[in-house]
Amino acid sequence: MQLGTPVRPPNGGRRAPLLGMRGRRALLPWVLLVAPLGVIGLLLLFPIGRIVWLSFRDFKLRNLVSGESEFIGLDNYVRLLTDPYLWQVVLVNTVVFAVVAVVATVVLGTLVALLLANLKPVTRIIVVSCIMVAWAMPAVSGTYVWIWIFDVDHGVVAQALKALGLIEPAGYNWFADRFWFYAIVTLNIVHSGFPFVAVTVLAGLLTVPKELHEAARIDGAGAWKRFWHVTFPTLRPVFAVVTVLSTIWDFKVFAQIYLMPGGDVGGSQMLNLGVWAYVRSFGQNDFGTGSAIAAMLTLLLLGVTVVYLRALFREDELR
Amino acid sequence: MARRRVHEYVTLPAATLSLVLAATACGGGGDGGGDGGTTDTLQVWIMEGTNPDATAFFDEVNAAYTEETGIEAEVEFVPWADAQDKISTAIAGGTTPDVIELGTTFTPEFADAGALHDLSGYIDDPSRFHQEMYEMGVIDDAAYGVPWYASIRSIIYRKDIFEEHGQEEPTSWDELRETALDLAEAEEDMIGFPVPGQAQYSVMPWIWGGGGEVAVQEADGTWTSTINSPEGRAGVEFFTDLALEDDLSTTGAVNWNEIDVMETLADEQSIMAISNSSNPKAIIESNPDLEGKLGVFTLPGQDGGYMDSFAGGSLLSVFEGTGNEEAGWQYVDLLTNGEFFERWGEESGFFPAGVDEIQAYADSGDPLVEPFAVQLLEAGRTTPVVPAWSQVEAEGIIVGMHQDILNGNATVEEATDSAAEAIENILNEGS
Repeated sequence: MQLGTPVRPPNGGRRAPLLGMRGRRALLPWVLLVAPLGVIGLLLLFPIGRIVWLSFRDFKLRNLVSGESEFIGLDNYVRLLTDPYLWQVVLVNTVVFAVVAVVATVVLGTLVALLLANLKPVTRIIVVSCIMVAWAMPAVSGTYVWIWIFDVDHGVVAQALKALGLIEPAGYNWFADRFWFYAIVTLNIVHSGFPFVAVTVLAGLLTVPKELHEAARIDGAGAWKRFWHVTFPTLRPVFAVVTVLSTIWDFKVFAQIYLMPGGDVGGSQMLNLGVWAYVRSFGQNDFGTGSAIAAMLTLLLLGVTVVYLRALFREDELR
Repeated sequence: MARRRVHEYVTLPAATLSLVLAATACGGGGDGGGDGGTTDTLQVWIMEGTNPDATAFFDEVNAAYTEETGIEAEVEFVPWADAQDKISTAIAGGTTPDVIELGTTFTPEFADAGALHDLSGYIDDPSRFHQEMYEMGVIDDAAYGVPWYASIRSIIYRKDIFEEHGQEEPTSWDELRETALDLAEAEEDMIGFPVPGQAQYSVMPWIWGGGGEVAVQEADGTWTSTINSPEGRAGVEFFTDLALEDDLSTTGAVNWNEIDVMETLADEQSIMAISNSSNPKAIIESNPDLEGKLGVFTLPGQDGGYMDSFAGGSLLSVFEGTGNEEAGWQYVDLLTNGEFFERWGEESGFFPAGVDEIQAYADSGDPLVEPFAVQLLEAGRTTPVVPAWSQVEAEGIIVGMHQDILNGNATVEEATDSAAEAIENILNEGS
């Protein structure tokens, strides 16, 4: 309706009501946003709504066939939250792993970015191209390479450790040990995640005015102090973005765990929330409980993200 | 100021949109039952990888089917690993095929869920099929699947190495252990008898062989597992001790599945191993040097005779509510009767799941086929026929028990106790 009102130049049409123009102004962004919002709604909001709906229902294979299911309120959530498996295995795996992986990814990525910033342009291009290979590697291929490197009998690592006499000739099955299992997953994730941090931080580093560094240097600040007092404050928004994104990615790691030996078995010590949701839904055909796990993971991630954003931005920066 | 206003406005329509979508999601739940298949073409899903030349085979089947019925048929090949997801999502989306190949262990669950059509009215003579396999599709006198092909586990061994060191095919557990020990000593670089950790069908025979049951239904309908009986434990302990005490396996074997075990035979790393009846063909294909060097013997019983082994394979089922059930049955019948039934077996290296057909193989005299066929007829068993069984597999109960023992995380007593308890909990909760 409002779109149909004739457009008048702001200074010429005195008779045009002020409200109409304001209304048009308010409406224009929405007209432009219709397409993206429609796509987001279809691809994101609809599945999320469906998952929330499923999580309140008793929904098994039988319900999938008949299409009828029963509303059971919070039963799925209550059952999950009272399951020691959640607290002792899945949540610990998810949170501890994510914390370690995010810290390692951001620290390593930043160090590499600092290195890149000090390289000559040609060398920089070469190094960036090399680390991009790690980033470009699909998760599935990357994971199989890591599994192969750590093969218990014939892997490079096992052979090296045996040759050095650090483990017995019979070998050691690290895939069966929760700590080592996740150590390998962490290596995999950090390896594939640090290039993004490095490149993003590098882009930020190149925008830090040289004068700030020079001034700090004249004041007698070393490299360490210059990083914390000049670089870090300037790049805080960049660090906020890479940390939040890494956190979200590392909380919902799937393929890198699911494909590892023992990572796809329900009831094993190696599952995280994402894999558990999948195994519950498609392994055990318990779609209601699986959806409840997925919903909890989403809530957890939203919570973590809000806390991060509040901590990383001051109140006035958020506006 | 202006920015703030935009922010305030963003949330409301987005929230409205999500509410509307959530509401419509509720409405969408009702049409899950697959009614989308009533087309002129019969849709068939077949698992990938059973027959190397499956496309040519099904071109002929489809041509014969069209000639007989006037209906076009279209076959889609589905990877085993994706099967369960794909079927579940197809049911949810109402895009199920008309005919589907289902692994024996899947069938009870999908039948119980009401997804499959009862074929008992069509099947003339159920006794012509391998009975254990036929039973996998039967719930309360309704038959939800027709046995198509079967496979069984026995032991493939290196005949050349056995002969070189003057060893005979073992006929009891002790002989098996002695033979493996002697040969492992003689062939230092080879694995005497791999004990894979991710191969539950290599574990089950020992439970049965010792005298335990994975799960049996009592008169009152409840399920009991006797994995943790002295007999069941004896079997599990014998098998795991081959790795732990006798060092006949390797540490890495804990992560191996049946394919990995087969590859050690093909790579000439193992002297003998529990193997699938379809393996000899694949091994020789990947390593032609082994032609004539392989032999097969049935799983030896504790004190001689046969030990029961897991018989797997597939049934063909017809989906319920597609409107094409009759046409679907005709397709199933074409595959499980006569020429195509036998040819699929010949081409794939699996056994056609008919008694007479398997008997023909048992009388064939082929050293790489006959022992498997004998095992299948004399001592072939399946998993318990109960819909919740697939949960026992999804939870990896038996794999977990076996790995805990192999990794030294639990004793045989502890591991079998918790496995038996978990199996009983799952099976009795569902009924």
